[in-house]
Amino acid sequence: MFLARRLVLAHFAVAFAAFLLAIVLGEWQMYVRSPLHAWINNPEHYYRSVTAHGTVMAYVLPTLVAMGFGYAISELALKRTLIGVRWGWAGFWLVVVGTAMAALTVAAGKASVLYTFYPPMIASPLYYLGVVLVVVGSWVWVALMCINLWAWKKDNPGAAVPLAMFGNVASALLWAWTSVGAAIEVLFLILPVALGLKDTIDAGLSRVFFSWTLHAIVYFWLMPSYIAFYTIVPRAIGGRLYSDTMGRVAFVLFLVFSMPIGMHHLFADPQVGAGFKFVHAVMTALVTVPTLLTVFTIVASVEIAGRLRGGKGALGWVKALPWDNPMMLAVAFSFVMLGFGGAGGIINMSYQLNESIHNTQWVTGHFHLIFGGAIVIMYFMIAYELWPHLTRCAPLPQAIIKLQLWLWFVGMLVLSMPWHLVGLLGMPRRMAYYDYSNPALQSQAWTVTASTIGGLLLVISALLFVYVLVRARKGAATPVPFTFSLAAHPYEHTPVALNGFGLWVAMMIGLTIVNYGYPIAQLAVLKETSVPAIPIGGP
Amino acid sequence: MRDADLYSWGNPWFRWSIVWLVVLTVLSLLVGFIVLPAVHSDFTAQGIWAGICRAAGVPSEWGNRGEAAVAAGPSSTNVTISAAMTRHGTSDAIGRGATIAVQQCSMCHGAQGMSVANAPNLAGQYPEVVIKQLHDYARGDRTSSFMQALAQNLSERDIADVAAYYDSLPKARTAPARYDEPAAPALVRVGDPMRNIAPCIACHGGIDHKLGTPWLEGMPKDYLVAELRDLHSGARHNDSHAQMRNMARAMTAKEIDEVADFYARREKVPER
Repeated sequence: MFLARRLVLAHFAVAFAAFLLAIVLGEWQMYVRSPLHAWINNPEHYYRSVTAHGTVMAYVLPTLVAMGFGYAISELALKRTLIGVRWGWAGFWLVVVGTAMAALTVAAGKASVLYTFYPPMIASPLYYLGVVLVVVGSWVWVALMCINLWAWKKDNPGAAVPLAMFGNVASALLWAWTSVGAAIEVLFLILPVALGLKDTIDAGLSRVFFSWTLHAIVYFWLMPSYIAFYTIVPRAIGGRLYSDTMGRVAFVLFLVFSMPIGMHHLFADPQVGAGFKFVHAVMTALVTVPTLLTVFTIVASVEIAGRLRGGKGALGWVKALPWDNPMMLAVAFSFVMLGFGGAGGIINMSYQLNESIHNTQWVTGHFHLIFGGAIVIMYFMIAYELWPHLTRCAPLPQAIIKLQLWLWFVGMLVLSMPWHLVGLLGMPRRMAYYDYSNPALQSQAWTVTASTIGGLLLVISALLFVYVLVRARKGAATPVPFTFSLAAHPYEHTPVALNGFGLWVAMMIGLTIVNYGYPIAQLAVLKETSVPAIPIGGP
Repeated sequence: MRDADLYSWGNPWFRWSIVWLVVLTVLSLLVGFIVLPAVHSDFTAQGIWAGICRAAGVPSEWGNRGEAAVAAGPSSTNVTISAAMTRHGTSDAIGRGATIAVQQCSMCHGAQGMSVANAPNLAGQYPEVVIKQLHDYARGDRTSSFMQALAQNLSERDIADVAAYYDSLPKARTAPARYDEPAAPALVRVGDPMRNIAPCIACHGGIDHKLGTPWLEGMPKDYLVAELRDLHSGARHNDSHAQMRNMARAMTAKEIDEVADFYARREKVPER
């Protein structure tokens, strides 16, 4: 069992090594623009760092975690060896080579365009090719997940697909369709300019294509954590999953609604009509449904654990929960951050409210809280859960893990809450320095120092995390076989609609065509929509 | 449990999923394209269909201003800088350019492109800069009694050759305009974010060089001051998208003097 062990380990090792480097860059950015440091003399260095931090945290870390966790799920949930391990390695090396290519280009100062690309800024083609390799490597994973599920279904006709694998393949399909937008943007709009074949670029159309990817990618980041909520958390804290069906409904709802909503990132962009912006806002609101379903189901599952441990009454079960269990801490922290981040997200997606926080530090605070906080804290737990199975190490030190989780939680709140506050006051994001000597800004200076301190806690937490994984004594123990959560009603009937993806993928593609078809077609045929490219990184 | 059972109207999962998705989509389209535009009278002044088109983002004229309104206002520039303009010229082009330059340019811009007459130095100037400015002079987008008359007599090829010639000469270097140059004024190194003034070196070299921005080191101070003042007042307006006007407008006379002084410094100038 678990032949893909080394493959999964390789994915996690690269993911977390890159994560550690990128988090140090993030803290450096925070420090140099705080009042603790004089203005950075070369703002380009700052944007170089922002580009590297964003590229690693948004593309490399989540993609590698999703891929590694996906391979593990495929073997552990389907209880059979992974088909296509060699292809898996090929995909892995594509991601590694792509990451190295992009990272070196950024480090050389030839690609300070931020991870969202921002045409008409144009970086060295090597940067875009690196990102393309990362995405192509992940497509290998998408294909392997589908093939493994298909082969299992063929051998187990009529059987219910294990929930973990169902979520895993939903995530793979979501990513496959999501990444098409940025792939079109890079291949057909940006690369011809970066390679010198064209001098102008349709920046508006590029941004529309990127928005296709930009929001759904968030749900691709989130899926591994949701899979962990449903299939690991209840077991780890000694409870039962309240409803297996609810998990499936949440996964397919993400598949349908996470895609055709990206234009809420373009509320301030003039090239998209107000009607489409409204429709995208409505559909974005619907993503709260699977999130709230999940929160409800997981809280109910946790309640089962509390009651099994003798908790009584309306709230007595909360006290009875295993609070000394790192997983219990992590899921509680995650939900608190998901709550704040989700509420902030509803403000972002509201067409009117967005006006007040658009392009401010509020947005930075929002996505750090919800991705860096609620999601990444579950990435840590996934790694801690799988590590004994990947390395056959002795049980990991629980005390350090709990300290690490506390530091992450407190650090993330101290980092992101001041950002929310000053965002409301209008502090713009993506600034290399602020003029604190100006009376209008002076009163906000402390918030940047506070965020710097929060960032420092996160760096310490990340160091502890990597320390725990690196110092685990390999081969010291034989782990008990890995299990996923059991449902409270294990023999409940799984509807055929929730055992496959055909209907949901069709709905996802249909909605994409309705919500994106006209804006893309219109911008593509409109004359004179291109602007001169601005190459970045000149002498 | 067979997949085939799913795709039939009899399957409630199939039926209700499709129905609810269609209802939701149609409702949000109705609100976004008909109800909300109707709230704004200018949106739907030309009928419901015009309102729908506007909500969809179809380009249209707002309030019947027509082309006259677009044509009004001073012309900026008609030149789109292309990567082809940035390439170094062939020796043939440089030779032709040198002949033209000696005959028509050297009186003011100096025999080797280093002016002693407070005209800009052209030695080592980026070719796309020379090309753009000559085209702007020829069209009248940049004004100068000498330069407009001279530029109008140059063909497209003459302009490219003159640019290639000056590109081939060595640049004037002074104390480098770099971010770690301690003598550089703050506006040169970091700009002033509260007034939306970008650092000079973000475009003019030092941090990054953006297409179309000139090499400034060693330029005569009087020239730099005159141009910044004209950009400040709007008398010079051939910068695309008002990029330099937006910088210079916020600069004080003292700042203009400091920045010009820094870029004009010669290496032999005694330390302050």
